[in-house]
Amino acid sequence: MEAFPEWTTKAHALGTSIMAVQFDGGVVLGADSRTSTGSYVANRVTDKIAEVSSHVYCCRSGSAADTQAITGVVKYELEMLELELGAKAEVTQAAHMFRKLCFDYREQMSAGIIVAGWDKRNGGQVYCIPLGGMLVKQPFSIGGSGSTYIYGYCDSAFKEGMTRDACEQFVVNALSLAMSRDGSSGGVIRLVTIDKDGVARRTLTGKEIPTFYEG
Amino acid sequence: MEMNGSAVVAMVGKDCVAIAADRRFGVQAQTVSCDFQKIFPMGDRVFVGLTGLATDIITVSQRLKFRSNIYKLKEHRELSPKTLTAVISNLLYERRFGPYFCEPIVAGVDSTTGKPYISGCDLIGCPVEPADFVVAGTSTDQLFGMCEAVWKPDLAPEELFETISQAILSAVDRDALAGWGAIVHIIEKDGVTTRTLKGRMD
Repeated sequence: MEAFPEWTTKAHALGTSIMAVQFDGGVVLGADSRTSTGSYVANRVTDKIAEVSSHVYCCRSGSAADTQAITGVVKYELEMLELELGAKAEVTQAAHMFRKLCFDYREQMSAGIIVAGWDKRNGGQVYCIPLGGMLVKQPFSIGGSGSTYIYGYCDSAFKEGMTRDACEQFVVNALSLAMSRDGSSGGVIRLVTIDKDGVARRTLTGKEIPTFYEG
Repeated sequence: MEMNGSAVVAMVGKDCVAIAADRRFGVQAQTVSCDFQKIFPMGDRVFVGLTGLATDIITVSQRLKFRSNIYKLKEHRELSPKTLTAVISNLLYERRFGPYFCEPIVAGVDSTTGKPYISGCDLIGCPVEPADFVVAGTSTDQLFGMCEAVWKPDLAPEELFETISQAILSAVDRDALAGWGAIVHIIEKDGVTTRTLKGRMD
């Protein structure tokens, strides 16, 4: 054993599996729940899906501190914007605010964020903002260290025009596979589904998480 | 030592010992398989659990088995757990300045006296022979905490199984590099019971 355990010196990292999928009428966001400091699991029931406005949420990966700070700033800016414009925040507005922070502070930050939500103008949308601060709109997006293990699965299982339930099942299966292979992902699966009627949160624990080949 | 990830624990009970290990084989964050053997029998009632670098786990277990076989042929009897500890210590210290990245745990019941015995070494062979429990691997801090909390002296074999299972499953849930199932051996004078635990596969 070392003089100082690793967890006293390492920052909290969200080695993670996150994803968001767009369906006709809304989006589904999903994330695992593990926060690690080195190899120690600091929090095994983390909530990585944060609210930025009533119909826009984001999935956080990378440095826990960085993503919490960025999310706090964007949440504040969106609230001010809603007051000033007298209208609900739109997903593009949130995505661009995230991008501005992630790009301008790209040297100091370690944040991979997926922004997803629903608005009246464009319906359900998913925007991905990886490490350098680029912004790209996608029908579905995966992120975090665990996502590397599920690119093949997601590419083969995703279909355009899935129903809400089919999207949720796709997210659950993909995250389960990622959590099984990635040491930095695990815990419970958190799901957030957003449509015009609002936000529905679900958590899948233990036996509710599907199992696949475990060789 | 944080390349592959592992967790091994051994506990003493009433006329029995238990040794448990996780089953993960990974390369840093990526899990490669969930059926990697980390506990090896070195006789009917003596087991060695190895943690650390996976390739050294394999090599040390093979070299140790060799020494154990030669002893059995020469002495016409099996290695007792205490002697096995000395053999491992010697094996590891021979590589003092280029060591195997491997920390072993010995658990067994002496076939002549029937006394339960556990011990552990560091990677260069310094042995320790406590009366209660030994832990090794990437989750030692978590395992120490669990063992201190749940272990009590003179546990019967069935109670010891429950105790060691809870200790290892809860400990590896807080370690990103260990887990993905577990295996437990309960060693008594009359026999060995082996059970696999169904744990979180994340």
